[in-house]
Amino acid sequence: MDIVVCVRQVPEVADAELEINKEGTEILKEDLVMDINECDNYAVEEAVRIKEAHGGKITVITLGDEDCEDVLRTALAMGADEAIRIDEQGFELSDAAGIAKGLYRAIRDLSFDLLLTGAQSSDDGWGQVGLILAESLGLPYASLAVGIEIAEGKTIVHRELESNTREKVEIPLPAVLTVQTGINNPRYPSIMGIQKVRKIEIKETDSEELGLSEEDIGPMGSSVASQRLSLPAVGEGAEILTGSLGEICEQTAQIIRNKGVI
Amino acid sequence: MTPYRTSYWCIQHVWIFYLLAAVAVGVFIFGLLIHVSVWTKGIKRQTIPFSWRGISNLFLDGLLGRRIFRGDVAAGTMHFLILWGFLGLFAGTILISVDYWLYHFLEGSVYIWYSACLETLGLMLMTGLVWSLIRRYLQRVPRLERRIDDVTVVALLCMVVLSGFLVEGLRLAAQTPDWAQWSFAGHWVSLLWANPQGALSIYPYVWWTHALLSLGLIAYIPFCKLFHILVAPASIYLENQPLQAILVETRGQDEEVFSYRDMIFFDACTRCGRCVEVCPSTGAGEPFAPRNFIVWSRNNLLMKYHPLSNFNWFTNWINRRYTQEQVFDHQKLWHCTTCRACLDVCPVYVVTPDAIRQARGKVVEQGTQIPPLLTQTLKNLYKYNNPWEATKKKRAKWSQDLEIPDLSKGEETDGFCYFVGCTTSMDIRAQELARSFARVLRHAQIPFATLGNKEPCCGDIARRAGEDGLFEKQMEDCVELFAHYGIRDVVTSSPHCFHTFRNEYPAFQALKPAEEQLDLRFRHYTLLLRELVTASSIMFERPLNVKVTYHDPCYLGRHNQIFDPPREVIAAIPGVQMVEMAHNRANSLCCGGGGNRIWQEDLDAEVKMAEIRIREAEATGAEILITACPLCLIMLEDACKTTGLEHTLQVMDLNELMAMALAPPASRCEALRAGGGQVLAIADRPGRW
Amino acid sequence: MDEILVLVEHRNGELRDITFEMLTMANRLGRENNLAVTCLFLGHEASDLSERLKGACDTILLMQDPELANYNADPYLMAMETVIKRCKPVLTLIGHTAVGMDLAPAIATRLSLPLLTDCVEVNLEEGRLEVLRQIYGGKINARFSMKPSDQYLISVRTGSFESKVKQGKSANVETVHAPAWTTLKGRRFLGYLEAELEDVDIAAADILVSIGRGIGKPENIPLAQDFADSIGATLACSRPVADEEWLPKSRQVGTSGKTVRPKLYIALGISGAYQHQVGMKNADTIIAVNTDPRAPIFNVADYGIVADLLKVLPLLTDKFVKK
Repeated sequence: MDIVVCVRQVPEVADAELEINKEGTEILKEDLVMDINECDNYAVEEAVRIKEAHGGKITVITLGDEDCEDVLRTALAMGADEAIRIDEQGFELSDAAGIAKGLYRAIRDLSFDLLLTGAQSSDDGWGQVGLILAESLGLPYASLAVGIEIAEGKTIVHRELESNTREKVEIPLPAVLTVQTGINNPRYPSIMGIQKVRKIEIKETDSEELGLSEEDIGPMGSSVASQRLSLPAVGEGAEILTGSLGEICEQTAQIIRNKGVI
Repeated sequence: MTPYRTSYWCIQHVWIFYLLAAVAVGVFIFGLLIHVSVWTKGIKRQTIPFSWRGISNLFLDGLLGRRIFRGDVAAGTMHFLILWGFLGLFAGTILISVDYWLYHFLEGSVYIWYSACLETLGLMLMTGLVWSLIRRYLQRVPRLERRIDDVTVVALLCMVVLSGFLVEGLRLAAQTPDWAQWSFAGHWVSLLWANPQGALSIYPYVWWTHALLSLGLIAYIPFCKLFHILVAPASIYLENQPLQAILVETRGQDEEVFSYRDMIFFDACTRCGRCVEVCPSTGAGEPFAPRNFIVWSRNNLLMKYHPLSNFNWFTNWINRRYTQEQVFDHQKLWHCTTCRACLDVCPVYVVTPDAIRQARGKVVEQGTQIPPLLTQTLKNLYKYNNPWEATKKKRAKWSQDLEIPDLSKGEETDGFCYFVGCTTSMDIRAQELARSFARVLRHAQIPFATLGNKEPCCGDIARRAGEDGLFEKQMEDCVELFAHYGIRDVVTSSPHCFHTFRNEYPAFQALKPAEEQLDLRFRHYTLLLRELVTASSIMFERPLNVKVTYHDPCYLGRHNQIFDPPREVIAAIPGVQMVEMAHNRANSLCCGGGGNRIWQEDLDAEVKMAEIRIREAEATGAEILITACPLCLIMLEDACKTTGLEHTLQVMDLNELMAMALAPPASRCEALRAGGGQVLAIADRPGRW
Repeated sequence: MDEILVLVEHRNGELRDITFEMLTMANRLGRENNLAVTCLFLGHEASDLSERLKGACDTILLMQDPELANYNADPYLMAMETVIKRCKPVLTLIGHTAVGMDLAPAIATRLSLPLLTDCVEVNLEEGRLEVLRQIYGGKINARFSMKPSDQYLISVRTGSFESKVKQGKSANVETVHAPAWTTLKGRRFLGYLEAELEDVDIAAADILVSIGRGIGKPENIPLAQDFADSIGATLACSRPVADEEWLPKSRQVGTSGKTVRPKLYIALGISGAYQHQVGMKNADTIIAVNTDPRAPIFNVADYGIVADLLKVLPLLTDKFVKK
């Protein structure tokens, strides 16, 4: 059961106050902590569990700069066997299709039974790369997997739908699945574990080696002409209560009594 | 006729005895080797330096049983009788061999004294043994177990002693020597037989029985509790060995987490249960007891490394044998708060807190059995340098209006570096500790600075969880920072930081080349406060008129023996009446926050540890419970609320109490002008002290 | 006339709201750009269902086939391919839902169409498309201008537009024959799994006290429960809390959980990413507590408190607990 997992390094923004650069094209990332995309972390854990049950080899692949090696090392420490990094030079300002092109070129020569990606990333949130890869590779796929069972030559996937419903689908292997959060409980990659896998060489490649030109990727290959970022208006809509904590709570209690009809 | 004694009197085929003795010794050595072979699988990179304290402990605890007496004089006396009875009889047996093989000296008055001594020792041993049975089965002392193993060992010993007296009695009955009454016990036994012939006829049988029982005992020693006779001295001596640092990158792939020292400690455990008695986790009804952990570890090691472990029948037998006892598993490892109460009472110095830490390390390596919230905490620590997932930018927020020199911004100070710590910086309640401390320092005009937003975590959280890789990373960050800013003097809020800096960093720093090693002084703030009040640098405004009690934090008290400084500080504050709780100083009860408990899901059982402690505080009638640790502060204040005591009892840090009593700045200036300089002549101010 | 194609989303015999939301937006774009609006209904024996669409579009393309009875990416992909190739719509709209996320990128790749997913605003002017998306969990707005193209594919975020069934139109129905299912990849739909029986139906509650990641650890949940009890509310949560299993999934509010419309919704420590907003923004009154003044939840809340929920909760509970 050989598995390939696509992972991405994203900035952690949950607790941070974000700032946008002067040009309005990107957020400022210097002060932000970078980590593996949450869905991808679940995907790596799922791959390791499948490997523990069925044997095989796991290859993780990412597209990014040198710092992204951290994410690969984390995945290796969790139980992946090999790692590939596609250098991001040339891919800046790509749309999802551009990123997927790079990944496709690197993956198409690998042999695998299952390709896993995260359902979407917490930065741009396209949610496209997994399926673009599936179509490019000509493989069957399913997205939003919250349960994966491996049977003989096929996989049974539970897909997450709205309103707390799920659907069950069967897909022949090899297949592509995008993984949603909550599918499992990702294990902790200890520092010692990460150190132990330091010896594993991360294969590196770039757009040139993959035969991709400027027209294929980056701003020229993107379907987007331009993008402009802005901060949403603060609390527009909400009346922010003011005063001391005690006063605020008194006001809130009043609102609750009125609106909740207590 | 000169008193004497014939060895092997009326015993034939003595060679059989020697053969059996050889077999017994052989079995004994085999058993010993099994244990040794397990020990050799432990980490070997540990040196054992010579230590006078170790020797002294060997004498006091090993021979005199000092720790066994503590808290249980009956146990101490009983064990003393058994130990010395046994040793004495053993020495006696050796003397007989010497007498027989080397130099005949057991005759005349020498023999009389010898015999009388042995009688006494035998009776001592018997008394001790019977007493032990009474304690275990009639008195049913709670911490003692009632397993088959406990009975068989004592029964065997009793039978050896009894058969010994019986043999002697029969011999005396048969020989009827004049000096019989000196062997008084045997003499009383001999009175049972009026007829010497009758005694003589059964004498050989009883002799061989006694021989077999004794040899059996020797052979059995490595396979039962009695093995502690050999291992306890080793573990007692090893107690005070300095911490040995082993860098994670030097660890082998499949290296055992325990060192041979730990394995010796496990083997020395006699299941006396003193640790269970004092463990706060057990006291709170949680499914954890140090004894269970030790036995579990011991069994696991045995199952893994025993020479016979390749055979299924063996591992199945061990499994079956210990399954009903297996009341421990990986999940329970996380209950331990590393408070050290167990280590402080263990008669053989089993270092449970350290062993638990190492066992946790194994679980952390594997990665899937860690409590999920702790996983998150460790990840946060790695990413954010603090366990709270707050961004690094918020770390210095507590001090934003206080204008404290920030070393990370290039500001400088003549004073020390105040290492605030993760909890004190980020937790809203604990921030008061820092603010009060800053106020006190300002008042005493002591210069200091902080590391601002650059302050990393000391790594204690990672270390207690067994995540040594992360700990080493944090340590490197801290040390680098200290070196970068030329810091030599550090004062911490948290006893955990203090303990880690002072007791654990040096061992790792010592692994570096001499030029890279730093000369750092670490203090907990209570030490600094004590210096300030002793030097009269603090001017108190008015008496507080309040009754307080003090909670000794585990990492300040038991781990670092700092009991008096906080008390001296409290005593120096006017109008403060201090009462001690039922458990104080080295007996202090853990608040339940250490050992990473505060960073993971609640493992509480019927009551929380902190609630038990709060009730003790309430019982003193104090209005304020003073602590000297941010974790204790949070845990105890929480407990105050959950027990509904928040209107009767307040929980405060020592700094807050100090700050409450400080004179406001105006009168301070006057005093300065009058007295000049930092040290004020407070003595001539009436009514202040 | 050029057209805008909208994929109708339905499940278990019901049309889903996203369909009408997309049609509202499509009709506006249609008016502005002189484009017709066409619905594509893929299904099986569902002509009655398609009737409901008549008031909201110009044409209904009806493709019925047993393979299309339940959503399955394989045949749906082929069907869309057939229709898009035939109609060559300027703009194809799909909902950013469990269906849309499973379909749109594959269609875009197969037909080489430019695709932008999860859009909250769409503008078409002189053949150039401009959309608004939210990135970084809703903390940043991103406006994308697309390069000129004959056709675009857009997936639309649920709840971004009004949902109106009657939009003043009267559609005619055209039957489209299903293609020969030649390039199917073997995916089979096995069935739906309804949620397990739950202890409490949060959708039936009048007042909900909902907790998010800001609760910190499960030990703090009793604080929220106490507060909920004091005002007679039911406890609910956002996705991260359900993922961690601190509360059962039945309590989850959001796209993958439940949609609720209580009289009063109190969000504690919830950032308010859209997936959650969708599930609760139609509550009558929303009070939000969060330490981050820029949290997206404040955009849908009526009242906001910028404070630590762990400090607010005990004070609030006090006001309602009878002493």
